[in-house]
Amino acid sequence: MSTIIEARAVSKRFRQHRRFPGLRGAIRTLFTAEYSEVAAVTDVSYAISQGEAVGYLGPNGAGKSTMIKMLTGILVPTSGAVSVLGRTPHRERMTNAREIGVVFGQRSQLWWDLPVRDSFELHRRIYGIADARFTANLDYLSDLLDLGPFLDRAVRQLSLGQRMRAEIVMALLHDPKILFLDEPTIGLDVVAKDAVRRFLTRVNRERGTTIILTTHDLQDIEQICPRLIMVDQSRLIFDGDLRNLRATLGSRRRLTLEFGADPGSLTLRTALLTADEGLRKHYLLEREDISLVDVLTELGNGYDLKDIAFEEPNIEEVIRTFYQGRDAARAAG
Amino acid sequence: MYLAFASSAFQTQLAYRGQVWASLFGSAVHVFAWIAIWMSVYQDTASVDGVTLPQMVTYALIGGPVLTAWQWRRLLNLVGNSVTSGDVAIYLLKPLRYPLYLFATECGNLFYRLAVTGLPVLVIVALVYGMLPPASLFHGLLFIAFWALSFVIMFLIAALCGLLAFWLLTAFSLEWLLQGILMLLSGTHIPLWFFPDAVAAIIKLLPVAWVGYHPIAVYLGKTSVTETLIYLGLGLGWALLLAAAVSALWRRAALRITVQGG
Repeated sequence: MSTIIEARAVSKRFRQHRRFPGLRGAIRTLFTAEYSEVAAVTDVSYAISQGEAVGYLGPNGAGKSTMIKMLTGILVPTSGAVSVLGRTPHRERMTNAREIGVVFGQRSQLWWDLPVRDSFELHRRIYGIADARFTANLDYLSDLLDLGPFLDRAVRQLSLGQRMRAEIVMALLHDPKILFLDEPTIGLDVVAKDAVRRFLTRVNRERGTTIILTTHDLQDIEQICPRLIMVDQSRLIFDGDLRNLRATLGSRRRLTLEFGADPGSLTLRTALLTADEGLRKHYLLEREDISLVDVLTELGNGYDLKDIAFEEPNIEEVIRTFYQGRDAARAAG
Repeated sequence: MYLAFASSAFQTQLAYRGQVWASLFGSAVHVFAWIAIWMSVYQDTASVDGVTLPQMVTYALIGGPVLTAWQWRRLLNLVGNSVTSGDVAIYLLKPLRYPLYLFATECGNLFYRLAVTGLPVLVIVALVYGMLPPASLFHGLLFIAFWALSFVIMFLIAALCGLLAFWLLTAFSLEWLLQGILMLLSGTHIPLWFFPDAVAAIIKLLPVAWVGYHPIAVYLGKTSVTETLIYLGLGLGWALLLAAAVSALWRRAALRITVQGG
């Protein structure tokens, strides 16, 4: 598979006019030209192949949107280089724009006062889409996302879920090779989220459209994207298969042992005792290389073991643990 | 493609049909007020500075509903808000040129405004007070060119001020400044021939004079054939200059948006 998106040591810093607090500060702000630099993206590199679906995950302010804006050509990297379909997006903005589709969860691209259908028609004119292709795409896409009932309604009368579905369909009408979505499920209810996720998965599989989406909702990534890029405080901290994330960030699997008779205090070398309820004891397996078998081997046959519950943490927990650990480290350091 | 924007702007306006009556009424009151002022000025005299009352009524009718039909304030605020809020980024995502896109949309808005308020008010008021025909066929035809030029220049001035908001962070003060300048100097309300000669001579060369004064002066035949053609040329020159300024300013704004993130 060929690489269609590449980021090489990309950094983006924003210069912000320094403001001083209070009334006196406000006056001072007027007459000073002090700037502070904010790093939105620091030294991020990755390559994405055609047909991939990549989730770009990170907390607020981690630099997700900044990265999408650089890939779509509306922001220029401070250093490093991005390449999309072999081009530098901001230098060939117009050509790049014809081959990508972009959806912003927070910013509508539909014409507010016009019916959805008319927005699509304008889109057809802007991108010069041939009639037959346009009709075929519109039928296929609006059928999948069930736009029929509100195609003729003005955009301002739509619910957020309906509007977002229309935004996504519009972004795909010109058969873009890559679809960028910046928090497409933000503010949607469970049903709408699910519809959007299933749709994106289908578009990725059936049409081979490469999908890059930013989110802070892990379920988006679990359902749509086999590959995850995780950023935090402007830096890339993970790039790979979602299933490897546990191993990379360190997982803490939980083990609960239930005994027929209370074995008393039972400390193990392979697992950490976290709670003791007598007959039921809770352990934590902190190391990745220790398996359930190791724990049971250490335990031996000497106990009246009734039941075992072994729990892999979900990704959300893994990530939360990671962030908490980072915050704790920062507080300590 | 840009034609589609013009027609969609027209349709967008149709969505707000409620506004039609308000703007129709507002525009009519405005014209009546100006005609009343001129009538009281002309109460005791047949002509002032060689201009008759029917000419002044015609002046008010063209300067009012026809030349100010287009709402430049909306464009100024639209551009101002979208560059300061960063909403303009969505236009950078599409394969289109933002200034041309705006121009196409505003053409649609202009035709809508002319159709639903400009022309009806013109017809109604003309039926009440009468209106003079163009001074000659030449002046009539040239008036159409001047009228188009008036819109183009006004569009460019409003777009320019809107873009300036990107650096000043507010379009509000510019709107008031521009309104004052237009009211006083463009000649849509007060003909420049009522100004002292030296002052009028200078104002006649400012771009705002093409917004109101020159088109009406041509319609009324106040300019000779050569003068008309000279002013047409000068007006086109201003339009080109302003277009270059808008284009340069837009490029700088776009660059700043892409480099600094707005």
